[in-house]
Amino acid sequence: MSEAAALMKTVELRVLRYSPVTDEKPSFGSFQVPWTDDMSVLQALQTIKDTLDGTLSFRWSCRMAVCGSCGMMINGKPQLACNTFIRNLPKGPITVEPLNHFPIERDLVVSVDDFVKKIESVYPYIIPKKPKSVADGPYLQTPAQMVAYESFSDCINCMLCYAACPQFGENPEFIGPGAMAMLQRYNGDSRDGAQKLRLDLIHGEDGVWSCTAVGVCSDVCPKHVDPANAVNQNKTNSALDFFLRFLPGAAR
Amino acid sequence: MSERRPYRRPVNPKWWWAPGAYRAYTLRELTGVGIALYGVVLFAGLISLSRGPDHWEGFVQFLRSPASIVLHVILLVVVAYHVKTWFEILPKTQPKIIVNGKQVPAQTITSYATLVAVACSAALVLFTFLVAR
Repeated sequence: MSEAAALMKTVELRVLRYSPVTDEKPSFGSFQVPWTDDMSVLQALQTIKDTLDGTLSFRWSCRMAVCGSCGMMINGKPQLACNTFIRNLPKGPITVEPLNHFPIERDLVVSVDDFVKKIESVYPYIIPKKPKSVADGPYLQTPAQMVAYESFSDCINCMLCYAACPQFGENPEFIGPGAMAMLQRYNGDSRDGAQKLRLDLIHGEDGVWSCTAVGVCSDVCPKHVDPANAVNQNKTNSALDFFLRFLPGAAR
Repeated sequence: MSERRPYRRPVNPKWWWAPGAYRAYTLRELTGVGIALYGVVLFAGLISLSRGPDHWEGFVQFLRSPASIVLHVILLVVVAYHVKTWFEILPKTQPKIIVNGKQVPAQTITSYATLVAVACSAALVLFTFLVAR
């Protein structure tokens, strides 16, 4: 054994394992992983897969917090594994679980079907007020108009906000923070004209009204998207839309 | 044949008391009950006032009782916590404010709103003292 290897520290990872073929329900498996100061939790998982147990399943891609694939519960908190460094975690075993509130497919892999359906449902594209031909020129926008929605366009669909949201846990039909950030990204865009169309999706308990402003979704967001803001400012819009219909001459 | 068998873990029924942000949220919401309670005290005073001097005197006696003073000290702490957290959550509940092409930071909104609330409260206390003299 080389001197460097002998000096290597090890850390215990407690990983929630689940195989749909052999396991009735998930249970923890424990791994001792050699680590260095520059090692992320993702690298620790890759070390396990490469050297200790090749059957460990988890999603990852970019390793630099832009793809949103490696979200998981690390010590009980939803985080990107690539963006969480072992040196910054408290000493002692590190607990790694799949994202809360999502069905587990296998080990750390969860179902994203429901989330993708929600994203698709909010018309996540610009629907112009008045379509222009190419000859009419581009849809113009000032920098100030862009700032109005820009932070919401930073979402990487990592679903950490859903894992942090207890109301989504209680009501899986709740549209949730991520899809609302996507909705507000387009409803806040000066070039868009489909605000009413999207607003009609979010009335009721499965719309914005499951939210009780817990706010942890925004705390855990690795991109500072502030999805809680997207949900809560649309409560006002939803309420206004409800009451304005009683005004004489309101078109419904 | 698909071997999919997605496992749904139960939600922790005690999530609202989990240490950190969730507990802070629960306390914030609970202090709303304290606000309502203080509203009841004020409303009771108003009703006593409308019923005449005897009833009003009874209300003032209640206010002077040790139990009422303890209640008011507790309610003061509760209201202070609610005011602080109310303005902390404020920037999340309103559309973004854009000034000179830049988004006003949440902390700035919280600070200004808290300042206005404190100034209004101080002005009200001052006004009450001046009228009472």
